[in-house]
This record gives sequence, structure tokens and C-alpha cells, in this order.
Amino acid sequence: MENQPAAIEIESLTKTYGSGLTSVRAVDEVTLRVPVGKVFGLLGPNGAGKTTIIKMVGGLITPTMGSIRVGGYDVARQRARAVRLIGAVLEGSRNVYWPLSAWENLMYFGQLKGLRASGIKPRAQRLLTELGLWERRHETVGSFSRGMQQKVAVSAALITNPPIILLDEPTLGLDVDAARTIKDWLAHLARDEGKTIVLTTHQLELVQELSHRIAVIKEGKIIADLPSAELLDRHAENRFEIRVTGSLDDSGPTLPADARVVRDGERTMVLLPGTDERALFDVLARLGAAGAGLVSVQRARPSLEEVFLRLIHSDEAGDARPTKEAVA
Amino acid sequence: MTTLVHPIGAVSSVGAVSLRGRLLQNEVAKVLRLEWRRRSMFIVGLIVFGLTYLGISFFIGGGHLVKDLMVQTVPALLAVTIVTSAATEGVGSIAEELNGGTLDQAQLSPASPQLLALGRMIALALRGLVGATILGLLFILGLGLDIHVHPAALVPAALTVLDALGYGLIMIALTIRVASIGAIVHVGDMAVMAFGGMLLPISLFPHGMEIFARFIPTALGVQALNTTLAGHGLGAIWSDGTLPWLLVHTATMTTLGLVLYVVNIRHARREGGLSP
Repeated sequence: MENQPAAIEIESLTKTYGSGLTSVRAVDEVTLRVPVGKVFGLLGPNGAGKTTIIKMVGGLITPTMGSIRVGGYDVARQRARAVRLIGAVLEGSRNVYWPLSAWENLMYFGQLKGLRASGIKPRAQRLLTELGLWERRHETVGSFSRGMQQKVAVSAALITNPPIILLDEPTLGLDVDAARTIKDWLAHLARDEGKTIVLTTHQLELVQELSHRIAVIKEGKIIADLPSAELLDRHAENRFEIRVTGSLDDSGPTLPADARVVRDGERTMVLLPGTDERALFDVLARLGAAGAGLVSVQRARPSLEEVFLRLIHSDEAGDARPTKEAVA
Repeated sequence: MTTLVHPIGAVSSVGAVSLRGRLLQNEVAKVLRLEWRRRSMFIVGLIVFGLTYLGISFFIGGGHLVKDLMVQTVPALLAVTIVTSAATEGVGSIAEELNGGTLDQAQLSPASPQLLALGRMIALALRGLVGATILGLLFILGLGLDIHVHPAALVPAALTVLDALGYGLIMIALTIRVASIGAIVHVGDMAVMAFGGMLLPISLFPHGMEIFARFIPTALGVQALNTTLAGHGLGAIWSDGTLPWLLVHTATMTTLGLVLYVVNIRHARREGGLSP
């Protein structure tokens, strides 16, 4: 990764809110590099510091210590240049003016970054058309559904065609259909337009599907920062999932101590950790001998949710260390 | 480290001036559009002000509308209209942006907070001036008040507007930091109505109260306006000390407003207080 140009470089970033005994360290010595043209997933539980990092990158919150460079510009010293490279959808916020129409919002936010109205109009038309809002462009955003409002927010973030997009919970509160549209758009932006996207969300399947690299943050500290595939490989549990008919009651087969049995309706799933096929065949034989009807056997597909939970909880136990590879 | 392609491109020094102009115009247009969406509140506000003023004038006049008295109190009514536009409406609009999170988004811009604040105040001034013009025409033409605008009156009029905007900007700046701003701005507006010359001309106040009233936003401006509207020149309000004190008051209010705004925006950036 060191060889790839960075869109965002964060170095020893620290943010402390308040002072004295009541102070809270929201972000603690965070160092991250977001490569150009990649989707970077930033995950963490509520209050972990994700939104604070996003807002510090946008120059909306002043860091206590550390530095941020956006497209080569130091956010602290060259804020005006840095923010023009950024479009953002922020969490817990309307992002756009509800009393104004979708069209008025796009014109305002485009000109807010210094573009001329004549330069904004064609892109505004394209964005609103592609997101299915063109026919209702002159209606006030307040009259839109939550999904449509979020589409306007995404359009406003993209109106200047910024190379870097910060998305803090972009699908929060959206129904399945609206969330799918936003997700498809993000995939399009990353794949076809080469945008650099920093994405925070609790919808981990979205991050797993889109992100090239994922960082996990907890209590302000980065506890993992790896390419997505490597993160899953390194932290996901390798296991076999064996589905059988009926239930495995007390008179059932004796299974290895590390195997787990999960009831799944009329069926039962046996989770067997590891990749040892001999252990698998041994368990299958025992199940067969006990009269359990085999339905399926498969290697578990690593899930980001599982990895995330494991990282968060193992860190609580104090047995996790920051993981970061030197070269992607 | 590779620098990404800038969507706007490089900005020259001449272009920077032009850019600031466009950013300012954009902010003024946004606030005016938002105010236009709330025009029903604006109209209701004018009706309430007009009726309140009529009621007060009727009461003060002992059951009659005393036109000689109203000639001296109408300028204060117009000043109050501008004050409430700058302060009450300004506080309401920025509180809505803070709570809605759009203030955060608006800061994601090459425009400085001062420039955005200037745009907001210009729009609020225009709103206030429209309201003041409507009320002024209604009372002056409707009741046939004998008010002639002398060129000399334009100076205290402009300073009164600036004074009102300075006060409004102080209230807007406090909104970013003080949760109970609603109560504060309400007390402030009441003080301007009570001591700003809308009930009684300030010259009729007892001496102690007249001194106190000089610290109230727009009160000195209204006093200076009344003197110039009565046909006296700028020399008269300079020699009686009204104009110098008005200049000092206006400069203090606008400077304090701007400094408070910048300081509180910086504080909000430190404490993450630009959004809900």
C-alpha cells in the first residue's frame, strides 16, 4: 500500500473533547492511509470515533494533535483547497436544506465549492436523472421520503464531481430499496469513476462488498487496518458447517469439544472449527452412525460481521493487537 | 504523494476575489430563498408589529393616535423590524441549520465563516429593510404622517441598520454556543422595543433612562434619525454627541458580533458543536 498514492493521509491523529477531569479522548493516535481510487471502510461500534475522524478529515472538527493531508493539502493549513476535493454525506444530519428544492440544493452546494452555476447545471441534471429525482426536482426536499432525501444528500455531495467522498452512515434509516440504490451508486462511483470513498456504516455486508481496505476502530484506537480479503482471511474462523435433519439430543453422537450445535428449524447445524478434513469425515461418520440424515456440508464463507465482532470483543479481553501489513 | 485533480482547478488572485464574490452571492441567495419559504411568518410578523404599534400609540395617546408623537416613534418601529429580522430570524435560521446539520455542510467550503456570516447578514438586512419599508409606507402614507426624508438622515439610517445587524450577529454567534438563546434573544428584543423609542421618543425619557437607552441597540440611531428627519443636519447630531456615540456603538456591535461569531465557530470546531 505504501507504493500507492494516498488520497488521505492521517498521521498520529488525536482528538480530545473537553478538558480536565471531564475530558474524553475520542480519537487516539490514529494513523491511516486511504489509497487513491479505493473504497476504505471504517468500522467501529457507536462512539468509537468514526464520525470524529470523518469530520476532522473534512475540517469540521479541529484535531487536538496530529495531521491530515487530503490530496496532498494539509487540512489545518490549506483547508480551503482540501475541502474542495471532498464531498460528504454526514451522519445524523439532514445534509441538505429541506425547505429548498432538490435543484436549489444542488445549485447551492455546487456554488458553495466555488463552481459557476453554468458548470453545475449539466451535472445536476445528470445526477437527478440517474437517481430518479428529475421529475420532482422543483419540489421541496422536506416533502420527499427518507430515501429520496438521502439521494439528494448524495447528489449534493457529488455535485462538484469531487475525487474524494466521505460517507458516514449513508444508508442509515433507509428502506431496502433505497439502500440498494445508494449501494449500487457507491459501487458505480468506485468502480467506474475511480472515486476515493471513505465509508462508515453498521451495514457490514455493504462494507464487505464494496471496500478494498477496512480499518476497525474501538475507543478511538485502530485495532485493525488491512485489505478486506486479508482481514477476512486473518480473522475469520475457518470452519465446516454440517447440516443434518432432526435434532441431536443427549443420546446423539459424541462430537469434538470445540464443535458447536445450532438448532435451525427442523434441522440442526454442526459448526466444526478448523480446516482438517479428517476431523470432518470423523464427525460425519459419527453423525451417520447416530442416524442423522446429512443435508449439506460446506466451508463457512468468512463474514465481516463475525470478524468485526471477534475483533471488538477480543480487544475487550485485551488479547488483540493492531494489525497492519506493510505492503498491500 | 500525488495531488488529486482539483474539480475547480487553480484559482488566481484575481480569481480569488471573484470566487469570494460568488460565494457571498450564493450565501445571500440561499438565505433569501429560505426566508421566502417562510414568507407567511414574515407577513404574520409584520401584521403583529403593525397592530402592536397601533395599539401602543393609541394607549399612549390616551385613546387617540397622536401624529406628532408617531412621527418620532415610527423610525423606532422600523428599527425594531430590522432588529428582529437580524436577531430573532437570524437566531432561528442558524439554530435550524445547527439542529439540521446543514451548518456543518455549509462549512465544507472554501468560504471562510466570516464570509458566510456576511452573506447571512446581508440577506437578513434585505429582509428587514423590506419589512421596514412596507410598515413605513403603511403608516406614513396611511396615516399621513408628516415625515420627509432628508439626505442627512441617510447616514444615521445606514448606521442604525448596521447597529441592528451587529446586534443580530452577536445573537447568532451566541446561538452556536448557548443552548438557552431563545430566552436571551427574546429579552434583547423586548429591551429594544421598550427602550429603543418605539413606545415613547427617547427624548421624553427621564434622564437616567435616556442614558441607559443609549446602550440599547438602535436607540442612538433612532435619536439621530429623529433629529435629522426634523430637518437638522449632520452637524447637529455630531455636536450633541449622538453621531459620535452612534459610530462607536455601531463599530462595537459589529466588531463584537464578528469576533464572537468567529470565536464560537472555532470553539464549535474544537468541540464538535457544528451539528446536532
